[in-house]
Amino acid sequence: MKNALRNPYVYLMFVLPAIALYFLFFIYPMLMSVYYGFTDWDGLSKPNFIGLDNFIAAFSDPEFRSSILNNIYILLFSCCVQVPIIVVLSLVIAGVRRLQGFYKTTVFMPSILSTSVIGILWGYIYDPDVGLLNNLLKLFGAGPIYWLAEPQWAMFAILITNAWQWVGFYIVLMLAAILAIPKDIDEAAGIDGATGVQRAWHLTVPLIKPVINVVIMLSIAGALRVVDIVLVMTGGGPAGATEVMASYMVNKAIKYGEYGYGTALSIIIFVIALVLTALYQILIARRQERVEY
Amino acid sequence: MPAAIKKAFPHAVMLTYVAVILLPFLFVLFSSFKANNVEIATRPFGLPKTWAFENYKEAWVKAKINVYFWNSLYLSLSSAAVGVLLAAAAAFALVRMKFEAVSRWIYQYVLIGMLIPGNVLFIAQYLLVRNMGILNTHWSLFLPYTAGALPLSVLLIAAFMRSIPGELEEAAIVDGLRAPGLFLRIVLPLTVPALVTVFIINFLGNWNEYLLANFFLSKDSLRTLPTGMVGFRDAFQTNYALVCTGIVYSVVPVLVIYTFLQKK
Repeated sequence: MKNALRNPYVYLMFVLPAIALYFLFFIYPMLMSVYYGFTDWDGLSKPNFIGLDNFIAAFSDPEFRSSILNNIYILLFSCCVQVPIIVVLSLVIAGVRRLQGFYKTTVFMPSILSTSVIGILWGYIYDPDVGLLNNLLKLFGAGPIYWLAEPQWAMFAILITNAWQWVGFYIVLMLAAILAIPKDIDEAAGIDGATGVQRAWHLTVPLIKPVINVVIMLSIAGALRVVDIVLVMTGGGPAGATEVMASYMVNKAIKYGEYGYGTALSIIIFVIALVLTALYQILIARRQERVEY
Repeated sequence: MPAAIKKAFPHAVMLTYVAVILLPFLFVLFSSFKANNVEIATRPFGLPKTWAFENYKEAWVKAKINVYFWNSLYLSLSSAAVGVLLAAAAAFALVRMKFEAVSRWIYQYVLIGMLIPGNVLFIAQYLLVRNMGILNTHWSLFLPYTAGALPLSVLLIAAFMRSIPGELEEAAIVDGLRAPGLFLRIVLPLTVPALVTVFIINFLGNWNEYLLANFFLSKDSLRTLPTGMVGFRDAFQTNYALVCTGIVYSVVPVLVIYTFLQKK
């Protein structure tokens, strides 16, 4: 009876198109990246195997090192500034009844828009002559700030834009977890005389720790992936102040044709992402689980 | 603390945050209707004196936003649709057909893709499409977009298909359906909720994609909305109203889809 589901040709017909496409655009490029990463290929002449030279060069390349630093700024800002804001705002939204749907819809909105359009939109907000921010500053009599042209402000401007785009996405994620907590625990604590803040801090936050961990993991991965917003808003400038690893890699490969070096950088990004995620899992996420037992 | 203040405080916090989200949009929307830079500069917060709808006509035709818009639309739709179909077919074979051992291996192999962040593959994919001779055609985006969506799509659709009871299939087989008929007439219709979700995720991902679109296409007539918009901004940098109009054009369709989905 089940012969219909045992025909190997039919099986192949169903699986093969997806597997072939996936191999061609995922597995093959990954293997080629590892290969190119150990060569000095410039896209034209024959690639020469040069061992670990690219990787050694990368870590002594001051521009790449400063781009790693910028990724770390983004990472620290997302984990230490954004995540607390996300937790607090989710708790606030979960605590209100009226307008809850409206808040949820509105805060989520920026995260469905294209990063490049958000870059253009915020580029206009930051515009030194007519932008919203400098107009607000003018109301208080403060002088114009060249947000994207001054090295000490440019990275800050990018961080704010990135936060504006993604905070709402994580709020909605966390809100789903908070709303899934059974109401009776909260009500029991309320009857025992715990205030709203106490209940939020001592009851809800411990219960949503797994989601907080997921949000932190996603923030780490997201911080290492940032590239569109930098390319659109500043192109890495002024003077490399906002260059991140991925934008530096793309520029090296496309602008200067250093494909070997560029792929080595991409492998470094990949490894950093794996190591950070693993470290976070081992050092923090695991230990918290043990405390709960 | 009086009860009224206690009740109003959370709303005050949230409304402040909502203002931070919405003010940039409003600022851009008002600017897009203003006649010229002088009006934007002298009355930054005010409503436009006269609503300059001709900005929209000008941007749509002169800035070729119509071209970018249709490119984005048909690329995103076709790639999302093909991706969903391929993923559904693969998921059906992996979950429902009787090749468990092979299926387990293939499933693991597809999931590896979830570990690889997209832009790590950027250079290798660039070289691949260049060698295939499809650089500067829409194929150079269509294929990576479709392939890139596969791991998550297969994961989600397979999870959904596992929950469909096996009795339905047995009955259909007894009635004489073969595997393709079973897939098209029984399993696919039952999987529609998962297919719609995956389709929307893929569509939005393609609609918003910037990195590949920026470097794989250089011909202006092929550009998609995200890259076209950046080129448009660079070309009309000093015409603030027109740039804002472009932003409105690229934001509104997504917001319309979003509000439509919210209601459902």
